[in-house]
Amino acid sequence: MSSIRILLADDHTILRHGLRLMLERQPDFTVVAEAENGREAVELTLRENPDVVILDIAMPLLNGIEAAKRITEEQPKSAVMILSMHSDEAYILKALRAGARGYLLKDSAEADLIHAIRAVSAGKAFFSPAVSKVLADDYLRQVQQQGADDPYELLTARERELLQLIVELKSTKDIAGLLNLSPHTVDTHRGNLMQKLNVHSIPELILYAMRKGIIR
Amino acid sequence: MARRQTSQTQRLLFIGFGGLLLLLAFSGLNALSVLRKIQTQNDTIRRDYFHRDHILEQLRTDIYLSGTHVRDLLLEQDPARADTHRKELDDTRARIESNVAAYEKILRPSEVTPFRQFTKELQAYFASLNPALQWNAAERKRFGYAFMKNSLLPRRMTIVHLADQIGQVNQKQMGAASRQVNVLFSNFRRALIALLILTLVCGGVLAGGSMYRIMRLDRLSAQRFEEVEQARGALRDLSARLIAVQESERRALSRELHDEVGQSLSALLLGLGNVAALLRDSNEDARAQLQDLRRLAERTVAVVRDMSLLLRPSMLDDLGLIPAVQWQAREVSRTKNLRVQVQAGSISEDLSDEQRTCVYRVVQEALHNITRHAKAKSVRIELQQEKDRLILTIEDDGQGFVPEREKGVGLLGMEERVTHLHGSFRVDSAPGKGTAIRVELPVSEKRHPVLV
Repeated sequence: MSSIRILLADDHTILRHGLRLMLERQPDFTVVAEAENGREAVELTLRENPDVVILDIAMPLLNGIEAAKRITEEQPKSAVMILSMHSDEAYILKALRAGARGYLLKDSAEADLIHAIRAVSAGKAFFSPAVSKVLADDYLRQVQQQGADDPYELLTARERELLQLIVELKSTKDIAGLLNLSPHTVDTHRGNLMQKLNVHSIPELILYAMRKGIIR
Repeated sequence: MARRQTSQTQRLLFIGFGGLLLLLAFSGLNALSVLRKIQTQNDTIRRDYFHRDHILEQLRTDIYLSGTHVRDLLLEQDPARADTHRKELDDTRARIESNVAAYEKILRPSEVTPFRQFTKELQAYFASLNPALQWNAAERKRFGYAFMKNSLLPRRMTIVHLADQIGQVNQKQMGAASRQVNVLFSNFRRALIALLILTLVCGGVLAGGSMYRIMRLDRLSAQRFEEVEQARGALRDLSARLIAVQESERRALSRELHDEVGQSLSALLLGLGNVAALLRDSNEDARAQLQDLRRLAERTVAVVRDMSLLLRPSMLDDLGLIPAVQWQAREVSRTKNLRVQVQAGSISEDLSDEQRTCVYRVVQEALHNITRHAKAKSVRIELQQEKDRLILTIEDDGQGFVPEREKGVGLLGMEERVTHLHGSFRVDSAPGKGTAIRVELPVSEKRHPVLV
């Protein structure tokens, strides 16, 4: 079993060390580098080529969001996960737009963090359960308050299946294979799906899925 | 002070204008009375003159007539007709005597001498006539011509001359009286001119005085106004500075809590987890203790996060105005029984920190007011940009209020923030009609699309 190579970026040294200690208790985790600002994180990622980059948002010189953007552009093989104190959806959407696959709060349980690292390194998405819960609650309350129809009800069974796979960050080819469809048909379904839900990008779709509780 | 000044001014104006009016009334009435007096005097002089002149004229005529009667008598041969002439002479003489008596009554001191002479000559004249009147026709024929030539005509001439003298005196008197009237007139004119000058001077002094006072009061009030304006400006500056200081303090505190305290607590959490892992199966009690500590740290992290966001949401600095407003709306929706909707268009990309903070704080304060007082079910927040104006409207369906009467500190604070950035602030509300707050801020025109 090959180990998961991790880069840690946080300007708070004690926190970084604590995190390293915790992660290295996992036999298949290796922390290959530590960065204390965004710029260093980008440089070290390009040099060390880690599987997972864990970024704090509030960092000097270059913040975590900008660092995530550069890393996904220049080193798409490294999966970016944001580890932040902000629980608001605006930050999550921003992180998703920057290419992050996971979003975790700093007070998350150890198990969640380890689970998240495994998920993103396997190409999946992962979000703090606390964040997902808040989003789902908001969504439920909104639907109740407005008395509006939940657009999710408009989706066909096939589209719901597709939604699940998209937000798990599967590629079009994989989805086509799994659902036994042509990639072109998958694209068409995805277009219809996004139109029905009134979302315009994959990050928004992921946020929607979190609100609906499709991702936990 | 102001009251004393007012009463002083009042007294001054009252005295000044009252005095001037009294002066004008007095001088007018006085002039009228003087004019009437002069008129009366003039009339009296003329009437007197004509009266005397008339009597003197009659005397002259009658004296002539008396001579004519005597002449007629002397030339008359018929005794009956002579009697008639004698009778006529007697009538004339009686008229002369009555006129002399009448004139004597109104005799002036200056006429006494000529009048005495006149009466003496008159008596002598009539006395000289007496013998001739007794003459018979023959005597009349014989002595008549000589008597007329030597006695009657010269005497009559003398008397008429004396009467003329009195007439001249009368004329002179009339001239003197006329001159007197003229003097009165010129005196009157002088008095009038003096009065006019006095009135003008008084009026001038009064006008000058009032003008000076009014101008001084004007200057004083302008000065006061400027002072008040300055004080108000200073107050506005102070409050703007206070707001700025409060904001920067909040930001610093929020950052400190979030970045330092929050991070340290997170590190503490991790450390506790690591210690717990090291202890493994051995010490159950210690693991339980660590679990308690962990829960405590988790709760503290949550508290610190809430405090930090309450002070100043990090989104405002990290992500911009709209995400911050949306977060605030979600927070209120989540915690209060209120549905908050945010509708945001594309807005200027280089809003200043002050502008962002201003709009955010207005939204925050408005939502705070609504949850506390409005009893509203839903709130609609709209953020739009029209050209170079950023327009924020916050409408609720609550119970409303009377803005003129119940403008609280919250609303005043919002207004203060907005006007400090040269924006406009309006509250529309009425009991039962909900409340709408509208803010317009001047901003630059560059925009960027909304991202959330």
